[in-house]
Amino acid sequence: MDSVASVANLAAGTSPVAAMAGEEASHGLVRTAWDFSFRVVLRYIKSSYKDDPFRTFLEACLIGFIIWYMAKRKYNIGTNEIVLTEKEIDELVDEWKPEPLVAPLTEFERETLERAVLVDGPNGTKVRLVSGSSSKSVLNFASYNFLGFVDSEEVGKRAVETLRKYGVGTCGPPGFYGTLDVHINLEKQLAAFVGHSAAILYSQAFATTLSVIPCFSKRNDIIVADEGVNFAVQQAIFLARSKVYWYKHNDMADLERVLGDVNKQLSRRGKNALPRKFIVTEGLFQNTGDIAPLDELVALKHRYKFRIILDESFSFGVLGKRGAGLTDHFNIDPHEVDLLIGALCYAMGASGGFCCADKDLVEHQRLSGAGYCFSASMPGILTVAAADAIQALEANPSGYLTSLRENTTLLRTLLERIPGLQVDGSEESPLIHIRLTPEAMVRMRRSGGAWTKNDIDRVLIEVTEEAQKDGVLLTRATYVDEHERILPNSSIRISVSCAHTRKEVEKCAHAIKSAVSRVTSKRR
Amino acid sequence: MGKGQRAINAYKSTEYIEQPRDKDGLLIGRKSADPFKLVPESSSLLLQQKEQAGTVAAAAPVAAKAPESSARESGGEDAAHELAAVPTFILVTTYLSFLMLIVFAHMRDFFGKMFHPEEYTQLRVQNGYAPIVSDFESLWVRRLYGRIRDCFNRPITGVAGGRVSLLERYSMDFNRSFQFTGRLNNVLNLASYNYLGFAQSEGPCADKVEEAMREGGITQGSTRSEVGCTRLLADTEDMVARFVGAEAAIIVSMGYATNALNIPTLASKGSLIISDELNHSSLVAGARLSGAAIHVFRHNNVRDLEKVLRRSIAQGQPRTHRPWKKILVIVEGLYSMEGEFCNLPEIIELRRRYKFHLFVDEAHSIGALGKRGRGICDHFGVDPREVDVLMGTFTKSFGATGGYIAGSRALIDHLRVNSLSAVYAEAMSVPVLAQVSSSMRMIMGEDREHALEGQQRLDQLALNSRYFAQGLKNLGFMTLGNPGSPVVPLLLFNPAKIPAFSRECLRRNVAVVVVSYPATPIITGRVRFCISASHTREDLDYALEQISEIGDLLMLKFHKGDVSAGANSKAIEYAAKMD
Repeated sequence: MDSVASVANLAAGTSPVAAMAGEEASHGLVRTAWDFSFRVVLRYIKSSYKDDPFRTFLEACLIGFIIWYMAKRKYNIGTNEIVLTEKEIDELVDEWKPEPLVAPLTEFERETLERAVLVDGPNGTKVRLVSGSSSKSVLNFASYNFLGFVDSEEVGKRAVETLRKYGVGTCGPPGFYGTLDVHINLEKQLAAFVGHSAAILYSQAFATTLSVIPCFSKRNDIIVADEGVNFAVQQAIFLARSKVYWYKHNDMADLERVLGDVNKQLSRRGKNALPRKFIVTEGLFQNTGDIAPLDELVALKHRYKFRIILDESFSFGVLGKRGAGLTDHFNIDPHEVDLLIGALCYAMGASGGFCCADKDLVEHQRLSGAGYCFSASMPGILTVAAADAIQALEANPSGYLTSLRENTTLLRTLLERIPGLQVDGSEESPLIHIRLTPEAMVRMRRSGGAWTKNDIDRVLIEVTEEAQKDGVLLTRATYVDEHERILPNSSIRISVSCAHTRKEVEKCAHAIKSAVSRVTSKRR
Repeated sequence: MGKGQRAINAYKSTEYIEQPRDKDGLLIGRKSADPFKLVPESSSLLLQQKEQAGTVAAAAPVAAKAPESSARESGGEDAAHELAAVPTFILVTTYLSFLMLIVFAHMRDFFGKMFHPEEYTQLRVQNGYAPIVSDFESLWVRRLYGRIRDCFNRPITGVAGGRVSLLERYSMDFNRSFQFTGRLNNVLNLASYNYLGFAQSEGPCADKVEEAMREGGITQGSTRSEVGCTRLLADTEDMVARFVGAEAAIIVSMGYATNALNIPTLASKGSLIISDELNHSSLVAGARLSGAAIHVFRHNNVRDLEKVLRRSIAQGQPRTHRPWKKILVIVEGLYSMEGEFCNLPEIIELRRRYKFHLFVDEAHSIGALGKRGRGICDHFGVDPREVDVLMGTFTKSFGATGGYIAGSRALIDHLRVNSLSAVYAEAMSVPVLAQVSSSMRMIMGEDREHALEGQQRLDQLALNSRYFAQGLKNLGFMTLGNPGSPVVPLLLFNPAKIPAFSRECLRRNVAVVVVSYPATPIITGRVRFCISASHTREDLDYALEQISEIGDLLMLKFHKGDVSAGANSKAIEYAAKMD
């Protein structure tokens, strides 16, 4: 206590000096303050040492540790940067030889490019192909024109009218004056048609999937996905950076095993951080033509508390009594599917895609769906075309779907009779993948050498070209091989349309039959 | 509708008066350089504006003649200097406002959860399901964005041209939902990316689109690599290549996907992508999908880019120190939130030295920049072949949608076979292709009936942009961006001013875009004006008049004290010295 008093005295003594002489006084003040604090600290140490010498020792150690820690050389884990002089860097820069931006085309790639089909005019059930200066009309079994809307009068009739009201581009993303009234109407129409609470429109089908999945599934979340999903879903899952588990294609027993494993692992982790868990699959698989068993998926979803993200790009407009997709096909309440992704560019003959979900989830996408936020909205013409297509389908579902199913069944039965041909996919799928049977392939190669993927693709291209000579346009299912997680088997993918007549379907089957027999009879 | 008609009439080639041009095709002389001469003098002008207009119109051609020097001088660091000149008071209040908003948001959440738990069920684990959107993630959206939702996603009808019809709407539940009144609100459009005014439902382009739809239907129902490649598509691709000055081009049906789905074909594991920190989300998505390593350099800072390049090449891949397979530098031609041009000439200098591949995203610059509208290369007089990948979109200047990638034939051939967009995404639809080809033909002056219209639009856009930006500066506002940029951002700073500005503008029949964090740095909330060739001088004067009033109301004229731009530039110089 007395020291404080003496300091106060000292301060009182110096303060008049401070008032009189500027700098010297402030120096004096600093010195006094230092003096004071030093004394206080000393007194504290003395008294505390007297009371508890061990504590003082501990404190001294602590101070020592802090000083050591601060003075220690810092290092970062992960950077093993080598220190180089500027001259050395210059040399390295000169030496560095980068690869070309793109590799030169392989022989097979060059062939594909040269053989690419060039279409002139509408891409409907009949299509005019151009090669050089000549052109010829062929039957189209290659475009995803399941309901015949691509060249339909009904869909096209309002296009000009719409053009004269809305122009072409919307000149902005939906957030910035790019939302048209027709977008809002189509969203409502879609939600009502599918039977979900709300819908959101995207301007491209691929970007829809690419946006929706990463929008909800983040780092640390869990995705259990079918191995056979199409490429857009694969990319979306990759972009989401969640923990991914794959189950065997359409194998519900395997899915159940994976779900059980995931939940077991999570329960070990404790309840605190429950991640979002999703099952991701496709309604009608683009790569195989299989149909996902939604009833079982929904049962598993409830049992294991997962949410379902269902890509209905190809099933929308195709499956079900009303053509409303997989939920319609299985007669399941669409609300059971938490995020239902659909496409308008395939069966609907328009462009873009959509996602149906609860209202909150749709609103969340309006800010967080990258493809929605950061790209221009769908042109009015395409929006109205989609709306008209849905309206036409709603007004007369059986008119479209009955003949689609008849054509599908007819073509399937005819194709299955062709020797040496393997027909994949579900009975009801208008997407039909055909490939040559292994036996036929073995027979084709007398030398018995192994088939490379390019060889198989070449044979399939030959089949399509032979069929084209008979007036039927087919396409090999194309993939970017190195980007696919599991490259699907090479195949020719046939898309049946309800606008094909019975005769045309028969002609297609016949053309394939003769093409296959011509190609397989060639010995290599 | 009537106003839209007026904008169209402005382009009728019969009204176009042949004017003397210099060898670059620029208009010569002060009087003839004024494309607004068709507008009667008695238009509603601010007295002050009238004087400025004269000087601006005179200054414009001069500025247009030396875009290189002016852009280089006031390049990327312009924004930094401007920011340094921000009054401390504004900086402090902005941070304080955000702090307060966040504190209030948390408080409202706290009490909300206590008294109305039913409204927060979405955010809790229920029935064994984790919340689909986490509490923390959604705070910003629920509590901050939610309050100003009326400023975004405003629905429109008709064409987003020089004027646009908004569907009038109101909310009875604090912006949670909106009801429409059924009335239309025809407002001046300073928001849409309609740079050359091609968003039209009438005129030669629309006629071409109608014709194309009658001939070719609407869509393809297939991908480009299967059977979606039509003659129209192939021809348009050739035209795009010619337009940008590349050997070949490939067209993608969506702008976002052009980047997101093509970058993975260009870079892969073992490659390095060096990206500007303000690059668009689609470029970020593409880079992430590619699996390549990603380094970021400071926005438009060529020094920093060089530093990153030197370090990357010297150190090689992390841990293994193997050399990178290749380095792809990704920049944008015109940064749409900043209104800034990328410093292309200097980056091309670096490219020669460091042998990286250069990817320039011209989403906003193609059609809008350069004397001939050929984008950033045209603007700087750079040979487009110096850029390896020229990417651009048709949404902005061409009134269409989708995008393209142009480059060497080897690159485009590779993309035609291997690009994810070509193989997996739907092909471009017919009306959009027709719009692209007809508008591009017009810009190139190849449309015989409308040979001069394209050039007229380009000139008018250049003049409009400069006129408007200069007008804002003269009023004392703090703007960003290079002179001549059709995007003019105006800094608002305080979060409360962001919705206020938008609502005030709407009240005065002007549609604007306001952006704030997270689209911009937290401090520099801004309003972004997009200038179009379809704006008349009346339109711009009206907008300036209204913005000036709003500026007074919201205390946005930070340079008001500086009578002329001279004082302003002094402040900037001073700030530069301080650095």
